[in-house]
Amino acid sequence: MEDNRRNFPSISPAAVVVAAVFLLVSALGTYWFTTFVPLVLPAQASAESKSVDELFTILVIIGGVVFFLIQGMLLISVLFFRARGEERNDGPTYHGNPLLEIVWTIIPAMVVVFLAVISFNVWTQNSEPKAAVNHVNGEEIAIEVSGARYAWTHTYATGRLSPDGVPIVINSGDTLHTYIGQNVELILQTQDVIHSYWVPAMRVKQDLLPGNPATGGRPTEIRFTPVRVEGELYPATYPIVCAELCGDGHGRMRGTVVVHENESQFLEAFYEPAIYAILNPPADPVLRGEIEIQRYICNSCHTLDSLEWSSRTGPSLNGIADRAGERVAGQSAEEYIALSIWNSGAFRVPGYNEQMAAFGPDVMESANIMSPEQLYAIVAYLCTQGEQSDCDQENASSAIPEAIETVFGMQVDINFGQGDAAADSADEAGGESE
Amino acid sequence: MSSYADVHRKTKLGEREAALRLKNNRLGMTIFQASWIMAFLALIVVNWQLRYSYAQWPPAGVTPFDATLPSIATFALLLSALLTRRGWQGLRRGDRAQFTRSWRLALLLGLGFVASIVYEFITVSEAALATHYGVTLRLMTGFHLVHALAIMAVLLYVLRQDASGAYSGDPRQSWAAEGAAKLWYFVTVAWILFYVVLYWLR
Amino acid sequence: MAPAENHEAAAVARPALSDYLRWSVDHKIIGVQYGVAAFLFFIVGGAMAMLIRLELWTPALDLMVSGSAYNSLFTMHGTIMIFLFIIPMWAAFGNFVVPLQLGAKDMAFPWLNAFAFWLIPPAAVVVLLGYFVNPAEAGWTAYPPLSTLFSGDGQTLWALGAHLLGISSIMGSINFIVTILNMRPPQMTLWRMPLLCWAVLATSIIAVMATPFLAGALTLLLLDRVAGTTFFDAAGGGDVLLWQNIFWFYSHPAVYIMVLPGMGVLSEVLSVHSRKPVFGYRMVGLSSMGIAFVGFTVWAHHMFTSLQPELRIPFMITTMIIAVPTGIKMFSWLGTIWGGKIRFTSAMLFALGFMSMFVIGGITGVMLAALPFDIHVHDTYFVVSHFHFVLFGGSVFAIYAALYHWFPKITGRMMNERLGKIHFLFTYFGFLFTFFPMHIVGMLGMPRRVAVYVPEFQLWNQVISFSAFVLGFSTFIVIYNVIRSYYRGPIAGANPWRALTLEWATTSPPPPTNFDDDPIPYEDPYGYGTEAAAVYLAVVERAFDGDSSGR
Repeated sequence: MEDNRRNFPSISPAAVVVAAVFLLVSALGTYWFTTFVPLVLPAQASAESKSVDELFTILVIIGGVVFFLIQGMLLISVLFFRARGEERNDGPTYHGNPLLEIVWTIIPAMVVVFLAVISFNVWTQNSEPKAAVNHVNGEEIAIEVSGARYAWTHTYATGRLSPDGVPIVINSGDTLHTYIGQNVELILQTQDVIHSYWVPAMRVKQDLLPGNPATGGRPTEIRFTPVRVEGELYPATYPIVCAELCGDGHGRMRGTVVVHENESQFLEAFYEPAIYAILNPPADPVLRGEIEIQRYICNSCHTLDSLEWSSRTGPSLNGIADRAGERVAGQSAEEYIALSIWNSGAFRVPGYNEQMAAFGPDVMESANIMSPEQLYAIVAYLCTQGEQSDCDQENASSAIPEAIETVFGMQVDINFGQGDAAADSADEAGGESE
Repeated sequence: MSSYADVHRKTKLGEREAALRLKNNRLGMTIFQASWIMAFLALIVVNWQLRYSYAQWPPAGVTPFDATLPSIATFALLLSALLTRRGWQGLRRGDRAQFTRSWRLALLLGLGFVASIVYEFITVSEAALATHYGVTLRLMTGFHLVHALAIMAVLLYVLRQDASGAYSGDPRQSWAAEGAAKLWYFVTVAWILFYVVLYWLR
Repeated sequence: MAPAENHEAAAVARPALSDYLRWSVDHKIIGVQYGVAAFLFFIVGGAMAMLIRLELWTPALDLMVSGSAYNSLFTMHGTIMIFLFIIPMWAAFGNFVVPLQLGAKDMAFPWLNAFAFWLIPPAAVVVLLGYFVNPAEAGWTAYPPLSTLFSGDGQTLWALGAHLLGISSIMGSINFIVTILNMRPPQMTLWRMPLLCWAVLATSIIAVMATPFLAGALTLLLLDRVAGTTFFDAAGGGDVLLWQNIFWFYSHPAVYIMVLPGMGVLSEVLSVHSRKPVFGYRMVGLSSMGIAFVGFTVWAHHMFTSLQPELRIPFMITTMIIAVPTGIKMFSWLGTIWGGKIRFTSAMLFALGFMSMFVIGGITGVMLAALPFDIHVHDTYFVVSHFHFVLFGGSVFAIYAALYHWFPKITGRMMNERLGKIHFLFTYFGFLFTFFPMHIVGMLGMPRRVAVYVPEFQLWNQVISFSAFVLGFSTFIVIYNVIRSYYRGPIAGANPWRALTLEWATTSPPPPTNFDDDPIPYEDPYGYGTEAAAVYLAVVERAFDGDSSGR
């Protein structure tokens, strides 16, 4: 019996052959398996995605070898070391082998050190600050992303000024426009809870952390550089996903990255038209309101059939013009709508739990800044949403500015479009509807 | 035949297990102390991390806490802990008078400590309370006060029990006194950590 | 195995079912109370998982009335499975088996033991009461400000319930540490202690050191919710990462609280059912301690997308290091069964299933530690898959192995092996096909905790949901098996597996005092294959089963 303690468990030649074949097959199999890696990952649309995927391939190879080694040894044990029939024998009294134990401590330790080193390299390479970020027209511009339950808003500080000296900021809603080779650097800021900005095709993700607005919030950054994807038609689109639970509508908090083929395409298809639209807003307040309302995150909570919005977090805007006048005694429909946008804290429709985000000329979140003109246009647009509108349709062009002046004491300078055309169309604005 | 539960009750309290029970109690107390001090450390982490979300500490416009009264209170608490130890040593020698005297004094000092910390808790300035400088003081002193009061109640209970002659010099018979004293050391150590973090680490 | 011919004659008196419904300080009663309560919560949490998978059958929100309803569903699923199923379930086996393995008459603090158990039902009621107000819907991780400024009263109840469960866990763990360190027989040095005891010791050390941080975090959460403080409210100068730091300082070690006892069970089951000593006993015991220690240094890998970038690297390194002690265990187990005489009992099948599945969770764990790759899959279904491979493929498989292994000791009856094997097949394949595809949808771009998703993932999700229903069905098999075997199972005898550890050196179920006198442990808890061991087993058999063992 004492001998038994020292004996290494006898291994049948068959087991050795099976083990050898198995290891060979598993090594080949793992190598072959890596050809499937692209199938389980989204398109490699950024420079970063290539190095991340290479790292993943290495992880799959090492993991695959470990996987097949252990499953193989399990399989061999199960096949060769089973007690047969009514056998009541014990196995050999083999308590261990210090050399073997050292080997299987040291080798995994070396493997994880290797993995840590290559991961560190990929990480430093990917997170290195890049030159010429957000390069547009030879300038670096700031692109900010605002996350609010449950929508993204992207704003581009163009650095240009309108004729009145107001900085031009493009608000592209839930869509980020970029082009191949642009070193994108986004400044992320949340308006409420933690969100996480994830572009699977770019392999980047960063949480948006609530900060104190009084001290400039808590901006976080995310960087990536789009690259050409073989076989893709440009402009290509990739999803933006919210990856951190943010509440009821977390699953539908999504957006789109539009990658243009080159900078001139980007300028032509997005940037210049957007600036032109800001400089030359439609003279008709209703038409302008229809554009303005889509710049903001209203769609993240409200339903409005005319714009194909379907969120149910907040009250429906369908037919709002029919009801707005009856909400608060002594308040006109125009006043109510204006007040519930600019001073949203004042209202909560019964049956709805969540407080609407704040909009106005001097709110903290740049994505929510709304000038009196924009408010006027949005109120004018919402006044058309109903069958027998409570709004003063006849005198909309004066009724809405008056309402804004009554509730906010702010003079709305109606100056849509250019020159006389603005004044002309403002007269007939109230009568128009979709 | 008696039920399973009855058999269990009758046979569990063997005479020779008394020594083991003392050993278990002592180890259990040590582990409890090591464990629950982590809750106090968690609050220190809170204090420490919140410091770094402010540009300076104490935040601008807030006068730093005056450490005079807390220092005296800390000294009183230390003295009180030493007295509980002295009293318990007296008890082990069979000197009941020394036990009663020391523990009464210890409780009195403990009361003084609690009173000063309650005073600190109440008199945090409005300016400090508007920031986490004052709020963490309330959090930490409040959390500590709950423990201090509860354990003073235990000390008082042990003192009352002793008056009716519940304890003897045999440590197996006076575990309640030993345990209460150890809980009081725990309160003392926890407070010293808080005291340093709240009043001295700027 | 030696089922007696005459069921009634050989049966040992066992506690009446009503004894389990009362306050009792007997560790064996408390163990069963923990076990049955935890299994009931497993059924509740499992039913919630089925509803989750039903909702995800289609990409749209159709089963639930709102996203919030779905959010509260997975919040409760996670909370129940972690705090009310796995952690109490290990308290169940720890309670029943550990004092017996140590040859002790009871736990060190019997009253505290009972008290720790009886905190659980009220805590569960408090957590579930949330359904009558606005249930907690911020996930089991309850990140503020979602859990503070944007949640209903159910979140307050959730925090209160979790508080109670934490206290219960601390009390139970102190009890285990003292029992294991103080109540061994003089012959049983630490290095002769069964590996389950080593694992429970390591687990309890983690629990007593980490759980107070949960208490701290929950206290702040409650203060923010109820008393108007702003610890986590940035507008008031607070910091949302404060919660993440304190919470994960508990909750990452909590993963090891959930899986280490399972590893202890594996060492027992693999050795007994392959009739071979545990390979590298000391390293297996020490690696439990290694995991416990390193486990305290890795928490911030849960914050890879929120932590300042320069702080992420150290946590990547520590997280990778933890693969080393885990690997030691895995290889030692392989060394244990290698060359043995494996009996394919249900317990052994689940133990082998653990090894086969847990290794996948280990590999994906290293992948997730690799920071650049984690950035892509953080908070996606890849992570959901990873931790289910650890907590289901690991912990639950080990729980089933422990159930089949110790059921004869607990009830005095054998489980039905045929049903056990069917149960294993359904569980193994149901599990594999539920959770393996989740890796792929996660990498392709599906975040976790969503009720709606893009239609291109529908086929994957239907595969997952279908397999999940198979997995859910497998639970009915084991429930039936347990109930049937409790009444009709063959009499087990003292030592049906012919094991060397002390819990088998007494009747099944053991008498109230566990052993008639002070039991003397066999010199080596896993010394199978020697003449001395055979003699010892024969003595045990004669002492307890006499001639009726029917050899």
